[in-house]
Amino acid sequence: MSLNIGKNKTIIFAAIPILIILILVLYGVISQVVALGSEPPKVVLERPDPKYDKCVRDTEYMRFHHWQLLREIREDVVRYGRRGEIGLNRCKECHTSREKFCDQCHKAVSMTPDCYGCHNYQ
Amino acid sequence: MPGKTGEINRMDRRDFIKTAGGLILTIGSGTYAFRILSATGASVSGADNPLIGKKWGMVINLDRCRSDCTACLDACRAENNVAYHGDDRWDLHWIRKVKLEGEIGHTKVEKSVPLLCNHCDNPPCAQVCPVQATYKRDDGIVIVDHHRCIGCRYCMIACPYNARQFNFKDDEAWPNKDHPKRSHGVAEACNLCAHRLDVGKMPACVEACRNSGAGAIMVGDLNDPESEVARITSTMAVKRIRADLGTEPKVYYLGL
Repeated sequence: MSLNIGKNKTIIFAAIPILIILILVLYGVISQVVALGSEPPKVVLERPDPKYDKCVRDTEYMRFHHWQLLREIREDVVRYGRRGEIGLNRCKECHTSREKFCDQCHKAVSMTPDCYGCHNYQ
Repeated sequence: MPGKTGEINRMDRRDFIKTAGGLILTIGSGTYAFRILSATGASVSGADNPLIGKKWGMVINLDRCRSDCTACLDACRAENNVAYHGDDRWDLHWIRKVKLEGEIGHTKVEKSVPLLCNHCDNPPCAQVCPVQATYKRDDGIVIVDHHRCIGCRYCMIACPYNARQFNFKDDEAWPNKDHPKRSHGVAEACNLCAHRLDVGKMPACVEACRNSGAGAIMVGDLNDPESEVARITSTMAVKRIRADLGTEPKVYYLGL
């Protein structure tokens, strides 16, 4: 008995993408269900030391885009020598502890930015 | 096919595809062109770039440099956190002193020459860098963006002055906490203390040399005719190391 692919060609080639899509959908559903059941990581940030009235940008922006801001500043400093007031050194003045500030969220979302291999942030 | 009488505005399929294609092409290329043009228009190296117009250069007066003095080396290490493990294999040197011996007539002459990155006007290290981590700033300082450096070490091979060095190991010591150190896997060289020049201070080696009483090293703006460095380079017999290579180094030696 030989496998007659010729006849079933259409069915097989239609089944492959359907199977792939099915697996992806299942994966998505299952991971969502698992995520619903588990507790989100708890992040407790230290109250900043109020050296300034407010942060250089609003909280919502800093929460999601602080890395973008830092990258822009870095580009300005390294490439064009514009050493302004904003930078990691400015962050340090209010958010004094790296363990209680930066590392809290980074750990929760498994981020390991390598800023601190070269930059000092105690 | 043109429509029948009474259906003047009716488009046939061919016309529709032609018009739609043309429209998409026009809008698409228009947006793309606008994005490119506006990106170059907003380029940061424009008029508000504080570096344009300057050209930092260095003059080292070898007649005043003593062979037993290491003030500039120590100051550089302390300022820039240059890695020092106490082992020749991993130590980095932004400045190193070389002893030259020769004869002028029948008298033996011995000179101690500090060698460092020459901040070439035509830097071979920047030409070979595959990720543009090494580049020449608009004020002529050749500098490494360590965020970008991938540690391929092309620049070390390209540099005719052996000024480039590689971080084979992380250094635990961190003498100047205000200034970043370099982690394992990036190449580095003297950056003429760009962070100090930007805020109007002289590089650490210059200050140390002046404080030690020698005053052999000078840094200044070569484009500014009033500056000491420009005066010396234009009026006195200065030499550059391997000027024949065409790299146009900006470290000038007096009495070499």
